[in-house]
Amino acid sequence: MLFSKKISAVHVPHCKSTQDKHSVRIAPPESVTIPMSMHSGAPAVPVVAVGDHVYIGQLIAKEGEGRVSSPIHASISGTVSAVGEKSISIKSDGKMEIDPQMKAPKLETLDDFLDGCRKSGIVGLGGAAYPLHGKWEAVRKNKIETVLINGAECEPYCTADNRTMVEDYDHIKQGIEILKRFVGAKEYVIGIEANKPEAIKLLTDLFKDDSSVIVKSLESVYPQGAKQVLLWNATGKVVAAGQRLASLGVIITNVTTLAKMALYFETGMPLVDKCVSVDGSAIKEPKNIIAPIGTSYGYCIEQCGGFSCEPGRVIEGGPMMGRTIASLDEPVIKATNGLVAMSQADSVILEPTACLHCGKCVEACPLDLNPVAYSDALDIDDEDKRELILKKEDVPQCMECGCCAYVCPAHRPLVANNRAAKKFLRGRRK
Amino acid sequence: MANNYNLITVSSPHFHNGSSGRRIMLDVIIALIPAAIAAVVIFGMKSLALMATCIIAAIAAESLFDVIVKKKNTVGDLSAIVTGLLLALNLGTEVALWEAAVGSVFAIVFVKCIFGGLGKNFANPAITGRVFMIIAFGSVTSFVNPKCVELVSSATPLANLAQGAMDQLPTVGQMLLGLHGGTIGETCIIALVLGWVYLSVRKVIKWYVPAAFIATVFVLFLVFTGSPVVAFYEILSGGLFLGAIFMATDYVSTPITVKGKVVFCICCGIITFIIRKFCALPEGVSFSILIMNILTPWVEKLTHNVPLDRRGK
Repeated sequence: MLFSKKISAVHVPHCKSTQDKHSVRIAPPESVTIPMSMHSGAPAVPVVAVGDHVYIGQLIAKEGEGRVSSPIHASISGTVSAVGEKSISIKSDGKMEIDPQMKAPKLETLDDFLDGCRKSGIVGLGGAAYPLHGKWEAVRKNKIETVLINGAECEPYCTADNRTMVEDYDHIKQGIEILKRFVGAKEYVIGIEANKPEAIKLLTDLFKDDSSVIVKSLESVYPQGAKQVLLWNATGKVVAAGQRLASLGVIITNVTTLAKMALYFETGMPLVDKCVSVDGSAIKEPKNIIAPIGTSYGYCIEQCGGFSCEPGRVIEGGPMMGRTIASLDEPVIKATNGLVAMSQADSVILEPTACLHCGKCVEACPLDLNPVAYSDALDIDDEDKRELILKKEDVPQCMECGCCAYVCPAHRPLVANNRAAKKFLRGRRK
Repeated sequence: MANNYNLITVSSPHFHNGSSGRRIMLDVIIALIPAAIAAVVIFGMKSLALMATCIIAAIAAESLFDVIVKKKNTVGDLSAIVTGLLLALNLGTEVALWEAAVGSVFAIVFVKCIFGGLGKNFANPAITGRVFMIIAFGSVTSFVNPKCVELVSSATPLANLAQGAMDQLPTVGQMLLGLHGGTIGETCIIALVLGWVYLSVRKVIKWYVPAAFIATVFVLFLVFTGSPVVAFYEILSGGLFLGAIFMATDYVSTPITVKGKVVFCICCGIITFIIRKFCALPEGVSFSILIMNILTPWVEKLTHNVPLDRRGK
C-alpha cells in the first residue's frame, strides 16, 4: 500500500475552554468597517455612497472583476459613513434592522443553486475564504462521489465550528439536503475531532436514519482539519500538486460554511455575521460571540470583559496558523473564527539557535516536506540554485500549518522562512 | 477601547512545544549519568579524573575558540559537555590525563568549531576525537581489567572472541554489569540501557534506531558463526551499546529522516561486523560510525522523504 503511512501530526494543547459556551450575540457596535478583500480573488467593488441608508443583508459591494470574487453585504443597519477601495464604513442606527425586501431565493435548478452561492457572499469559513460558488462550480464538470464536511476544528482555542454543530445542526441538515439535490454525491462524510463528543453525538443521532451521511470521529491531532490531512484520513485519497480536489470526485466544505449556505437558501440572509471564539490568557471572560462582520476586534474583546492583563500578541484565528493583528481597530472578517489574546508572558519571542539537524520538523510535517531545506536554501546567494532547490523540495505545497516550527528545538522561524521561500518563487515566475 | 497596547506582530505559529537544543543536550547528559557512575564504581577514581579532564578541556577549548573568532560564547548549549563526557567514556583507564585533554581539544576545535560550531560538524566530535587518539596514543587501545573483579583472562571479551577463547569469557552477569576490561563507559550494559530508555521516553531518540545497529551486528554474527552465544557476547562487548545509543544517534552527523537514521544504523552494524570479523582491529564501532558520518549525505539522498502530493501516481 503506497499510503500505508499515517500522516504526521503534532499534539498541541487544545485550549478549548469555550467549547461548551453557548454563542452570544454581542451588543451592536456603533460602527463597522468592512474590508473589500476578505476572500481569495478580486476585491469587491462598492455600490453604495456616503450617506446612503443600509439594512442588514443589503448589498454594499458587488463582485470584482476576476476569476473569482465575492459580494459583500451590510452587517448592521445605519448610514454609510465612508466608502473607499479598501473598505466601507457604516455608522449604526442602533436598530439592527434586517432588509425588509429580503426573501428566500428561488432554488429549483443547479443554476439557481450556484447563483445563490454567488449572491450569498459566503466564502470558505475554514480559513481559505474561497468564494463558495467557485467551489461548487466544479459540480458542472466533475462527478462528485463524496462531500467531506469539515468539522475537525483542530486549531487550539477555536470552538466556533463546534458551536455551529451543536447549536445550528438543523441548518447542517438542510445544507446536506440541498447538496443532495444539486450535487448528488454518494456519501456525505462529516469529519469531527474526537474532542467534540457533544457534536459527534448530536449529529450521529440526527443522521441515524440516513445511510448516505456518515459522521466520522477523527483523532484529535493537529492539523486534522487541513485539506490533505482530512482527505487522507477520511477517504484515503491524496490530491497531487496542481490537481483539483473535485477531479478526485471529492469536495470539502466547512460545517459553518454549509450552515450559512442553508440559512441563505432558507431566508435569503447573506453572510453578515460570524461566530468568533474569543479566548486566550489575556481575555477576562472567554466567550463565543456572534459579531457583525466589520466589528473591530477591540470591541469584541470589550464584549468579553476586556483584557485581564497587558496583551502581548492578539491573533486573528488560532495560535497555530493565525495572524497577529497590529491594531485592535482591525475588523472581524468573513473567515474569522477565533480571536486569541495572549499575555505578554506567553508572547515572548523565542531566540533562534543553531539548527541541530535533528529532523523533528521533517518528522512533524503532515505533507512530508523538508522545512529545514527551505530555510537552508534561503541562505544560498545564487538565485537560480535557490530556485532549483526550493522547487525540487516542493515548497509551494507548504500550507503553513506550523507543525515544523512548533516542534523545532532550535526555535527557528520555519514557517516565516517557508513563506519567504514561496514568495521568492512567485517573484521568480514573473 | 483604549488602543495604546504594544502588540507584537510575528509569524505564526504562536505556540511552541517548549523543547530546546539545550534541553536535548541536558537530556543526553542525564542519560549518560548511569554510565558515568558505573564507570567510577567499576574502574575507580581514574574514571572521574578522565571525565573531569575531558569536560574541562572541551569547555575551555570551545570558550577560547569563541574568543579568538569573536563569536558569542556557545558553551551554554551544553554540547561541549556532551562531547567531553562521551569522549571520556570512550577511553580506558590506561590513558593519561594529558592525552585525554588533547583528544578533547581536538574533538571540539578540529571536528566541531572550525566547521562552524554545533550543527555544522560533519562527523561526531567524540567519535572522531577517539579515532584520532587511537592513532595518536597507544594507550587508547590497551585495557586492563577493573580491580574489583578476578577474571581468567586479562584480555577484553572482544579479544577473547577474536581468538576463539570462549572459556575465558566473563559470565553473562559480568557482561551486563560491566565487570570486565574495556573503556570506562562502554562495559556496563545495564547503565547504558537505562540511558537508552530515558532518551526514548524523552523522545530525544527513537528506541529502534540504536536497536537497528545492535540487531544488525547480532544477526550478522549469528548467521556467520551459527552460534547465538557468540552473537550475544559480540553485542554486549566493546563499544556497541555506547556507540549505538549515544553516538550513532547524534543529530548533527546522521541523516535527517527517521528512515535515514535506521539505514545509517544498519550500515554501521554491517561495517562493525566486517571490522570485527575480518580486520586486524578487534573493535569497529567507532570506525563504523565515523565512516557512516562521512556517508551521511548519500544516505540522506537515498532516504529523502517523498512529499505527500508526489506519491501515488
